[in-house]
Amino acid sequence: MISERFRWVRTKMRRLFRRNAQESELDEEMQFHFDQLVAEFEVSGMTHREATAAAHREFGTVDVFREEVRDSWRPVAIGDLFQAVGLAVRSLRRSPGFSVLAIVTLGLGIGANSAMFSLGNAVVLKPLPFPEDDRLYHLYRVTPQAAKGSFAMIEWKELYAAEAGFGQVAGSSNFSASMAPGGEPPERVEVKGVTANFLPTLGAQPTLGRGFHPEENAAGSNRVVILSHRFWQNRFGGQADILGQQVRMDGVDHEIIGVMDESFGDWRLFGWVDMLRPLDLNDPVMLARDQQTMMLIGRLADDATPAEATGFLTAFGEKLAEQYPIENTGATWQMRALPEVAAGDNGKMVLVMLVGLSGFVVLICCSNLANFLLARTMARAREFAVRSALGASRGQLLRPLLLESLLLSLVGGIFALFVADGFTAWLQYRSTADNGDQVLITLERSVFVWTFVCSVLTALIFSLAPSMFALRLNLNATLKSGGRGATGSRSHQRLRQALVVGQFAMAVVLLTGATLFIRGLDGLNSNREGWQSDGLVTGTFQLPETTYPDAESQRQFQNLVLERLEGLPGVASVSLARYHPFLWWWDQKKFEVLGRPPVEAGREPATRINSVSPEYFQTVSTPLIAGRAFDARDHEDAPRRVIINETMAHTVFPQESAVGQRLRWISTTDTEESIEIIGVVEDVKSIFPEANPITFQVYQSLAQVPVAYNELALLTQAADPNALVREVRQVMNELDPNLPVTHLKSANDRIVRENYQLGVLRDMLGMFGILGLVLASLGIYGVIARLVAQRHTEFGIRIALGALPEEINRLVLTSGFWMVLWGSVLGMIGGIGLAKLLQIGFPNMPHNPLSSLLISLVVLIAVAVLASLWPARRASSIDPCEALRAE
Amino acid sequence: MDKIRKELLQGTLDLLILKALSTATLHGWDISKRIALVSKDRLSLKQGSLYPALHRLEGRGWIEAEWGVSDAGRKAKFYKLTTLGRNQLATETEHWLSFASAMTAVLAMEDLS
Repeated sequence: MISERFRWVRTKMRRLFRRNAQESELDEEMQFHFDQLVAEFEVSGMTHREATAAAHREFGTVDVFREEVRDSWRPVAIGDLFQAVGLAVRSLRRSPGFSVLAIVTLGLGIGANSAMFSLGNAVVLKPLPFPEDDRLYHLYRVTPQAAKGSFAMIEWKELYAAEAGFGQVAGSSNFSASMAPGGEPPERVEVKGVTANFLPTLGAQPTLGRGFHPEENAAGSNRVVILSHRFWQNRFGGQADILGQQVRMDGVDHEIIGVMDESFGDWRLFGWVDMLRPLDLNDPVMLARDQQTMMLIGRLADDATPAEATGFLTAFGEKLAEQYPIENTGATWQMRALPEVAAGDNGKMVLVMLVGLSGFVVLICCSNLANFLLARTMARAREFAVRSALGASRGQLLRPLLLESLLLSLVGGIFALFVADGFTAWLQYRSTADNGDQVLITLERSVFVWTFVCSVLTALIFSLAPSMFALRLNLNATLKSGGRGATGSRSHQRLRQALVVGQFAMAVVLLTGATLFIRGLDGLNSNREGWQSDGLVTGTFQLPETTYPDAESQRQFQNLVLERLEGLPGVASVSLARYHPFLWWWDQKKFEVLGRPPVEAGREPATRINSVSPEYFQTVSTPLIAGRAFDARDHEDAPRRVIINETMAHTVFPQESAVGQRLRWISTTDTEESIEIIGVVEDVKSIFPEANPITFQVYQSLAQVPVAYNELALLTQAADPNALVREVRQVMNELDPNLPVTHLKSANDRIVRENYQLGVLRDMLGMFGILGLVLASLGIYGVIARLVAQRHTEFGIRIALGALPEEINRLVLTSGFWMVLWGSVLGMIGGIGLAKLLQIGFPNMPHNPLSSLLISLVVLIAVAVLASLWPARRASSIDPCEALRAE
Repeated sequence: MDKIRKELLQGTLDLLILKALSTATLHGWDISKRIALVSKDRLSLKQGSLYPALHRLEGRGWIEAEWGVSDAGRKAKFYKLTTLGRNQLATETEHWLSFASAMTAVLAMEDLS
């Protein structure tokens, strides 16, 4: 039985691949039969000649049943398939314009969609590189002022001591350090200080070397680092003998003891980290309860449920709030699943939007394809009618149609892969930050599958319409009219128009989204609320603890910087600050106003805090409204003074003047009893699209509250602020050759760079918008041009009867007009919806949906008119003689 | 009885070939001769229907072919029944017999009214 099966398969295979051998065997078999017949006739007494003639008569036409034999080979005959494919290829090559258009259309649409899918995959869908990531949680301290607050190191210690009730808890705190390899200019590196159980808690391990030991969480012994894979590759060229090498950071040698896995560089979780280093768990600065800079990650114990863990955490937070009310009142401790956190809220929405919009592009592509195919099939109505009349079965009629669309889609799909690849490369290039950081996007196998499934599905779905047309063809009418009258039934015409209407509507939505976003982002980038950036050069440096251990040394260096830079030619003013006005202010504190009844603990108002040098307001052009700016009087020994913003002045002191009022921080580290408000300045708003929940802003004097992290700003009269960069760098190098100054460039460049992710988004949306515009206009043009071709004779007769060219023009344009009208109405509804979505996602972004909608409508209608104008002109210039002769 | 109509009932052709091959391995010519002989020339299988049928049955895996040497010493293609074909023959025979007896019973009825 098995050998029979095998022989049968062999027979099938031979039929498939050895057609010639099969044919000759059949010949031989026939010849044998024929010879037997001749022999039989000879036995009955005929001569050989008579016998042969008789046998020929008897045998009949061999070709007929030979064809029948071949038919029995057919069902799996791949030879036929090759032939059919060859036919489809020839047929497509006969109309190269159509084919190229269809392939390019499909390629662009599917390619853009695949790239979006690959981006979505990289950002949202890809699982975390940790085992059992569903048991990992991110811990938050939720307060009225901050929804995602961090913790103090001392709190980690307490939680760690009690972690039996939860599982494992690990902490980390990011900081930047100056790395100065011998002889080279120093550079800033992003370091993640971690507790020794950080990697074990995640379930991650270095690919090279070892993890940290608990005893390394102490000053002196924590001079060991684990490099990120990216940093190892970029900075050390992936040296194999990296372990044991020393790197000099903040003036201290650190030993490289390990290298992390590539997947650990997942920026969704920790941002960009160059290396890990053990925290000093007894660092007095870090141990302060109001130093809440530690991110906590927990892994549930095997027998713990999330509900139990949450309960434990909440109770723990409440207990701490009782013990240390100043820092903890009003705060609740919560946790969220790590994979959920990684995907992000805003990011997810933006991605859904992008994937949706790229889906729109695909839909436009597909409806174009369907339209093209339908038009093509209608034009071949006569061919189908003839084949059908000759007895072709439904399958035989449809097979070439399906094959052609399948072929188009597959070629389009392959083209799409190149498009997606190019798109990804572009994205990667565009999303490369100054320091070489990248959003890691790689095309993955799932994306390839997605692309191919897409292309084959679209082929099948969109070849349905032409197939239905071919099947429902009225043979009689088509053959009688010689194929000319085959305009397709009313319902087909309507289907084609519906496709164009849908296309137009989607193009409106796409273009509105793109316009909204582009204008919004330009608005953000040119938004100068409370500050100016023209002629401004900015840079960043951080004073390492090892060289500048105390406030006094920091102050001295800061004064030196201000003094030296002021002396540079062309510099109008120089300032140092904790934050630039256009970037996010992370620092915040709660305060109370002296002389007012105390507010309920935990409910005190909070404010963002900046520390600035005297010339700051002048340098960044923040206008002073009342009182005075800082000056030499506000030195370290003078009474503490602050300047507040307008909103705070109006809200906290609605009746009286804010200047001269006094306040006090709710803090255990800054216990100054009375701080005087000496001025009020305008509010400043950052360039970021997210709204800041805290609208109060307080400026402290840098001399009184020195900071290690400094943002440098210089106002120049020079036309190009970037011309000053070299001199500034030189001065800084003279002052401290080991101090890296980063982001040293004009403020305007920095602003564009800071929003580069939005810039990528903007470019993508712009591209989608243009793609949609081009495709939709192609669709409208295609339909109207076909309409004109079909009514060629009719227009000829009209002109012969005296119709004016304008009347013909109007006739053609009217048919386009209705499609555009319906498309506009539907598109407006979608556009408004998208605008609402964008407003939710980017509340701080300037928002003007109506004008954006209008702009895109006007552009699209103009394009539509242009697209129908050409066919209309062709229609009105029809030569009636020729048109009638053809009849 | 005259020669039975040339167009054999659908399916009977396959049954005839399977039956002819049930006892021996034969080439096409022998199959047609044997059927003619057994049916006393009332059934004749012309090459026009025989060879397509043989190739169809081979495609279904009911029979298989092998090149051999004929009695006259010529190269010829011999067909033989497979296990699948033998099963098929049994089923088909049963169907045909029950169909034939049903037909006979109906036709043997003297008066329908």
